[in-house]
Amino acid sequence: MVGPLATRALWGLATLVGAVTGMFGLMVLAPGDPIDLLPNAEAVRPVLAAEWALDQPAPVRLGRWWGRLLSGELGVSLSYRPGMPVAELVWAAAPPTALRVLGALATVLALGTALAWHTSRGERGPSRAVAQATSLVPLFLAVHAVVASLNGGAFALMEAGWIDRPGWFALPDQASLLRTTTSVLLLAVASGSLAEVHADLEVALAELRRSPFVVAARARGESTTALLLRHLLPRLCTVAAGRLAMLLGGAIVVEKLMLLPGAGAMLWNAALVRDYELVLGLSFVAAAAVVLGRFLSDAARLFLDPRWREVTG
Amino acid sequence: MTWLSAWWHLTWARGRWPQRAAALWLLLVLGAALLAPLGGYAVGADVDLTAASQGPSLAHWLGTDHLGRDVAWRLALACQAFVGPGLVAAVVAGVLGVLPAAVAGLVGGGVALGLRYLTAVVATLPRFVLVLLLLMIYGDSAPLLGAAIGLAYAPELSEAVYGRVEELRRADFLETSLAHGVSWWRLLFLHVLVGAAGGLVARHLLRAFAFTVVLESTLSYLGGFGVQEPWPSWGNMLVFEWGRGLGVAQIAPAAMLLFTVGACASVAGWAGGERHVR
Repeated sequence: MVGPLATRALWGLATLVGAVTGMFGLMVLAPGDPIDLLPNAEAVRPVLAAEWALDQPAPVRLGRWWGRLLSGELGVSLSYRPGMPVAELVWAAAPPTALRVLGALATVLALGTALAWHTSRGERGPSRAVAQATSLVPLFLAVHAVVASLNGGAFALMEAGWIDRPGWFALPDQASLLRTTTSVLLLAVASGSLAEVHADLEVALAELRRSPFVVAARARGESTTALLLRHLLPRLCTVAAGRLAMLLGGAIVVEKLMLLPGAGAMLWNAALVRDYELVLGLSFVAAAAVVLGRFLSDAARLFLDPRWREVTG
Repeated sequence: MTWLSAWWHLTWARGRWPQRAAALWLLLVLGAALLAPLGGYAVGADVDLTAASQGPSLAHWLGTDHLGRDVAWRLALACQAFVGPGLVAAVVAGVLGVLPAAVAGLVGGGVALGLRYLTAVVATLPRFVLVLLLLMIYGDSAPLLGAAIGLAYAPELSEAVYGRVEELRRADFLETSLAHGVSWWRLLFLHVLVGAAGGLVARHLLRAFAFTVVLESTLSYLGGFGVQEPWPSWGNMLVFEWGRGLGVAQIAPAAMLLFTVGACASVAGWAGGERHVR
């Protein structure tokens, strides 16, 4: 198992190196002087010209950038929080986003498995239609509708004198359990997350139900629930790794619209003020999270599925 | 004519009425993007506070927003915001995701490994992050938005095409065709890309278009990127009416967005053959 795992670790590392080099390449290939695009260009020009070594050829600059990255330094924020180390900003913002994304991932996997369990039996019912309908609603529209409904409903009840002002009112301005839960649920369900997870797991479960070992267990009168779930686990790992990147992207929308603190909202705000160092730092962390997610998924699959170990070993 | 007839029998004639209606809806959206700018509606000079927040009437079919601007005209004009980028995205995703993956799937070996590496590198960045990064560095413009979305979508298309072609690599009909002197390129384009993977490619290109509709609306809704006021986008039309009660001006862009994304999904399923559980 160590051999395939080491191969995957190397592959992950190589893709991360490629992604970081690609991001740097995008900066280098941009026409004109990148400093000109900054809102405070003249103020930061002397510092940045030296820091980015703009008079040096691109490979030298890339080497310097990698050197800095390997020493754990992500540069200094240029316009979002001028002068603050990017690493400090990123490490402060990343944990709430990570928790939000992991919560959404667990939710969508649980909901997707439950729905797929029901629909993979081939019975007719509204479950599949409900899952597919969620794929049509863009995340921002779902957030808009939910926040407007909660605020509008609460306001109407307050106007009628039925309730006092709730602690979470108005939703985007107040930290509350309701806001956290809503954000995780919306991230999990909207923008096709639930529909895609459901579709993947439905196909996997339908195949499993037709497998000879499941048919044989059923013929012996044994319960197949535990058997099916055990064999579904490797597939769940792959699905989880595939959803991670989408959920990280969705976190930008949810955090921005629901005024939640986190790396997603920070990325959007930093991109608006063209804070290259901060956006590159946050993008690097997002890429590293995706690579780590893929590696953990592969490792779990290798551990759980001996057939896959044989095929890939 | 043979091609047209084959297309007719394979797609339109096979479709059911919801799928045909969805295809017509997409044609309507495309027509609106092309024809609405010719209608003479003056964006920016259309504010009329005396006609603010009106309901539907003969003069304003879908009423007006809180600045008295005609909602129906703005909905039609907003189609320009995503149709152009959507087509660019489909072309870029097609160019980057189809041919290299098909060649790699047929050839295998080092070429396939190289392609899979490049695909993995691009897919390492979440799509939204990659698009945002490109818009920040190269400036916010409609063609760039389309190209960025195409690039971000290409890995998914590439993986799908590679998987399908790799399955076919040792298929009997390919070896027989080669033995009968059919050229490699003809085999690749006609038998593999059009015959075996055509539906798959069409489905993914439509999904790339739908992704553009959603992403453009999202960017315009959030503000700062995408279409800015006074130019209309379904995203900024929705946010512009935020907090002003549930009226047609707010429901109409949301409904248009849902219809269009739904139509893309329906036609994509039609073109690509839906996945069934039996």
